[in-house]
Amino acid sequence: MTLWKALLGLGLAALVQMLLGQHAPSIAERCDLFAIYTVYIALTRPPRTAVVLGSVAGLLQDALTGVVLGLNGFKKTLLAYLVGTLGSLFMFNQPVPRFGMLFAAAFFDPVASLLLSLAMGQQHAFPGIGDLVVRGLTNGVLGLLTFWVAARLP
Amino acid sequence: MPRAVSHRKPSLLLFLLLSLHLILMASSVRGARGGSLLEDTLLTLFSPFLRSASSLTSGFASTWHRYVGLRGVEQENRRLRARVGTLTLEAREAEEARHEAERLRALLDLRDTAHPGSIAARVIARGGAGSARTLVVDRGSSAGVARQQAVITPRGAVGRVVEAAPGVAKVLSLVDPNSGVAALVQRTRVQGVLVGEGENTCRLEFVSDNAPVEVGDVVVTSGLDAIFPKGILLGVISEVGEAQGLTRYVQVRPEVDPHRLEEVLVLRSSPQGAAAEAVPPPAGDGS
Repeated sequence: MTLWKALLGLGLAALVQMLLGQHAPSIAERCDLFAIYTVYIALTRPPRTAVVLGSVAGLLQDALTGVVLGLNGFKKTLLAYLVGTLGSLFMFNQPVPRFGMLFAAAFFDPVASLLLSLAMGQQHAFPGIGDLVVRGLTNGVLGLLTFWVAARLP
Repeated sequence: MPRAVSHRKPSLLLFLLLSLHLILMASSVRGARGGSLLEDTLLTLFSPFLRSASSLTSGFASTWHRYVGLRGVEQENRRLRARVGTLTLEAREAEEARHEAERLRALLDLRDTAHPGSIAARVIARGGAGSARTLVVDRGSSAGVARQQAVITPRGAVGRVVEAAPGVAKVLSLVDPNSGVAALVQRTRVQGVLVGEGENTCRLEFVSDNAPVEVGDVVVTSGLDAIFPKGILLGVISEVGEAQGLTRYVQVRPEVDPHRLEEVLVLRSSPQGAAAEAVPPPAGDGS
């Protein structure tokens, strides 16, 4: 996958996330396409590239969602690094481990947000376990779909 | 998973990027009081993408709403077309009712002013194979209609009753060859008998070759046949032929077109009253 394809994928993820936010906010709240993108990049790209692209994806998410700038950038950079590290240690070429990784990424996001908010003295509402499970399942399904589609692209 | 990549961990790069994000976050939090240069810079950097995404989103939403609107328009168009069809039909019916009301009003005026006691009837059939020589009206003997009664409209004479059943009656129109009506030319008082020619014309018989008649002269009933009252319009002379012996051919175009008749007035009593009933019908009346 060349760099421009990776950037194109990022743009597509951002666009779909925006569309979902405008037309299907209930779905948008339960899936994080930027996280799926970061996991995908981290499992398919070199670690340096994955970390940079994860950072850019997070910044773009910050710009689009209007949260504290750098919050998602920090989380996605760290997520790309962790997933890349795990990907270099274990095999993630089967749907089940990939699903597990995507599911875990959904839990990583609010935990990281909580820690960062605490560090900066900001208030943060941690989502319920039920919500997290739904987010994890949604991310897992959509992520596997992304892997399946991406594997069939030229 | 095939990964032809270096496994060297980008620890330094990670540290730099995380530091950058922390600075950004700190700057953003401070910026809540008055603004952030970094945030503005990043927003400026991302603004082309934001604008593109926004325009794409707007375009998509606009297209979607137009599509939905178009479906609504199509449904509304179908509904309005059906409504237009219904209203057109209603308008035609209303127009027809207006014409009918005008005709009936004229008929009633005629009955009330000139022929009180006469019977208004509606034409329900035309006799013969496509011809209009005989008419069937929806009033019969039970309503007082009897043989040899004159049938007229506000425009002129139609014919006479030749058969009267309880519910309907048959009327022999002026254009029937068996029809004969005593007539006179209104302008010169020349008298004759108006006989039907079978189609849309009649001829005035027994007009002498030197009688002063011209095309355009009005022909009215003379009342001598004891069926029609005197002075009812029959038609207009449309052709005057050369003399044939002692008489000449005079063609009359009837004023009333039997093909377009819908309502008529049956005169209950002829000028001679009961004497009219005694007059036997001409040959062929029963046809």
